[in-house]
Amino acid sequence: MDFILDGFIHAFHLLTSGNAETYSAIWVTVKVSSYSICCSLLIGIPLGFCLGYFDFRWKKSLRTVVDTLMALPTVFIGLLVYAFITHRGPLGNFGLLFSLPGIAIGQTILALPIVIGLSATAVESMDQKLRIAIISMGANRRQLFISSLWEARHGLLAGAIAAYGRVMTEVGISMMVGGNIKWHTRTITTAIALETNKGQFGLGVALGIVLLVIAFCVNISVSFLRRRV
Amino acid sequence: MKRLCVAVFCLALVVYFWPTSSLANEKMLMMATTTSTDNTGLLDYLAPKFKEATGIELKWTATGTGKALKLGENCDVDILMVHAPPAEKKFVADGFGTDRREIMYNDFVIIGPASDAAGIKGKSIKDAFAMLKAKQAVFASRGDNSGTHKKELALWQAADLPVPEKESWYVQTGQGMLATINIAAERNGYTMTDRGTYIKYESNLQGNPPLKILVEGDAVLLNQYSVIAINPKHCAKANYDTAQQFIKWIAGPQAQQLIKDFKLLGKPLFTPNAKM
Amino acid sequence: MNQPLYELRSLAHSYGGKTVVSIEHLAVPPGSILGIIGPNGSGKSSLLRLLGLIERPTRGKILFNGREVAPFSDEARFLISLLPQEPFLMKRSVFNNVSYGLKLRGNGGDISARVGEALAWVGLSSADFARRPWYALSGGEAQRVALAARLALKPEVLLLDEPTASVDAASAQLIKEAALRARRHWGATLIVASHDWQWLYEICDEIRHIFKGQIFGTGRESIIFGPWQEQKPGKWAKILSDKQQMIVPVPPNQEAAAVIKDLAVSESELRDGDDDLILRGLVSRLSLEKNTGQVVATIIAGNLPLSVGLTPQQVQERTIFPGKDIFIHYSLEQVKWI
Repeated sequence: MDFILDGFIHAFHLLTSGNAETYSAIWVTVKVSSYSICCSLLIGIPLGFCLGYFDFRWKKSLRTVVDTLMALPTVFIGLLVYAFITHRGPLGNFGLLFSLPGIAIGQTILALPIVIGLSATAVESMDQKLRIAIISMGANRRQLFISSLWEARHGLLAGAIAAYGRVMTEVGISMMVGGNIKWHTRTITTAIALETNKGQFGLGVALGIVLLVIAFCVNISVSFLRRRV
Repeated sequence: MKRLCVAVFCLALVVYFWPTSSLANEKMLMMATTTSTDNTGLLDYLAPKFKEATGIELKWTATGTGKALKLGENCDVDILMVHAPPAEKKFVADGFGTDRREIMYNDFVIIGPASDAAGIKGKSIKDAFAMLKAKQAVFASRGDNSGTHKKELALWQAADLPVPEKESWYVQTGQGMLATINIAAERNGYTMTDRGTYIKYESNLQGNPPLKILVEGDAVLLNQYSVIAINPKHCAKANYDTAQQFIKWIAGPQAQQLIKDFKLLGKPLFTPNAKM
Repeated sequence: MNQPLYELRSLAHSYGGKTVVSIEHLAVPPGSILGIIGPNGSGKSSLLRLLGLIERPTRGKILFNGREVAPFSDEARFLISLLPQEPFLMKRSVFNNVSYGLKLRGNGGDISARVGEALAWVGLSSADFARRPWYALSGGEAQRVALAARLALKPEVLLLDEPTASVDAASAQLIKEAALRARRHWGATLIVASHDWQWLYEICDEIRHIFKGQIFGTGRESIIFGPWQEQKPGKWAKILSDKQQMIVPVPPNQEAAAVIKDLAVSESELRDGDDDLILRGLVSRLSLEKNTGQVVATIIAGNLPLSVGLTPQQVQERTIFPGKDIFIHYSLEQVKWI
């Protein structure tokens, strides 16, 4: 129990003393999760928008599939990605294993169902009157699409935040695909896993608190952005 | 508003393309090793010295022995450092590895609570295991197909006892060595560990751990570490030359001395034994 | 060259198998004000949405300035604007809502000035309102902003769906004035669907009734709905709230409505022809019809409103005033079914 208190104190020290390993893990985490989020938003928002906006035959089934994929365990995704990018696998030649782009691919797969599902929901909960209002102002099809997308921005932002939370805190993919290599692919979460495995609970808690601080900073800036827009 | 978006986007591009380490110009060697080795901190200690001597950067991933061998077979790494001689020999025989070189050893020990309810202190391995089973004392096993785990299973076999798979007192943790030791400590039970990890555990607890060494010294408890280069005939892309450089270095006088000097709490964790 | 602004040919529109609009032919002259009166569910909103090129009709053609158009047609989309019944704004500030259409058209120019002008027309001060977010407005203010957004575009055609139905009285007044200003300033054609008969009579060049998706009449007819009861074999009537019987020919079915034109009034029960059917009622309202200069009297007979057209002289001669007891005459031949 006292390791929790130790953890708080230790976290403060780690951050203020500029501990190289900790900052390396922080930088790696920020870099790889930002990249994954950008990719998954760029791909996922248009797909989710289409899923919510248009009516087609297998819409309901597709929606169920997407919702189910939201619960994919991270180790499972890690295993699948590994199978593809291992040197003996189909994508082995790209040298993605044990690298940040490799982790980013896995994390993008993790985040996509969340982004698609929540974007579709955001679009579906848009008022029907929006379409009439936009067309009555003289928009063409492209302008209608973009303006509708912008109108749904609050719901889309919620989806992005949920996905970001999931990506920042996952261990399975980073471990399996990244290999937890010090200075290179050791993220905060894999570092926590390592330290707790070594019995260094205090350090594990400390790193966890560091992660929370980062997540807090991100969310503060997002809510600031939300109020301005 | 638009300007803000553009600025954020540019920042994002910078974040991505900024390298965390310098790129292909540097020579790199990818190693798979076991968690026990990694947890002692030996590689953290040796890697910078290796870089100084050869200019090669050593990167390693620590997993269980089974996975390390699998990574080698899949050509995902260039070199292995493991401690499971029978499995290693098969690995080489199968053509996945080559240039196997024994580099250091330590031994396994049985640790348990100072109170030693099962009374195994000072006994031989055979007797100790028999008493643990008789007393149904809590025993934590790695249970993860690692080098250590394979050794433990071999010991049960050597003691003519069946592996107590489903027994309630036999706790298969499926985790690394330090984690397993901690679980044993929590349950006031026994476990088998390599001495290097035990010393690390001791030093983590400032020299006064709840579990003490109770059985040691049996010849069968030897724990041999080796390095194996991945066979370029099996994996065309393997960094064979660099792997050879590492093997040469670690079996060489400088590294062997460094291994001898690697101590925690004043105790050496490994004994170098590379043959010239 | 008297080309109509709109021409609808064989227009039909259905939702889920149910026909909501069915118009064989309708022509709207440019620069006119057309009023459409009908109860809820009569197809008013659907018709306006079709005219506003928001939806494509299931069948038939819409011609605008002689050219066939459809939703998103480049020839028409900058010239037509519909104001829906429910106030609705996009999730942005008032200024951005009003300037949205201007930005769509890529209007460089002085957007600020045009926004300010449009807000002034609907009685909202730019200083107070421009920065307000969409959720900080009352229903009436929101509808006024929505109208301002459309006025700023100076469209050739302004379609208003019950513009004063969901707003407070003050806003209603401002909206009415602003709509007329559009007509005066740049000769916009207005098509207005409303319950407010008085207002429509005041401003419209033409009025049409709409019922069950069909257009008919000039607005001066009376429409009577069922239920119809068979009093004696072959003799049908609607029982009014004061037990009067309004006798009608055999109705085709219970959902049919009766339309009667040119009702006549007199002060006494007796008149020349014995075939006349008579109802007794109370004069409720007198309105001046803009185009014809006629007076339309609304007479309530046992809760049923009926419209009668009179010349101003007749009103004076017979001293018709609200509150007066009066008799209405009609014959069975005058009753048409729809």
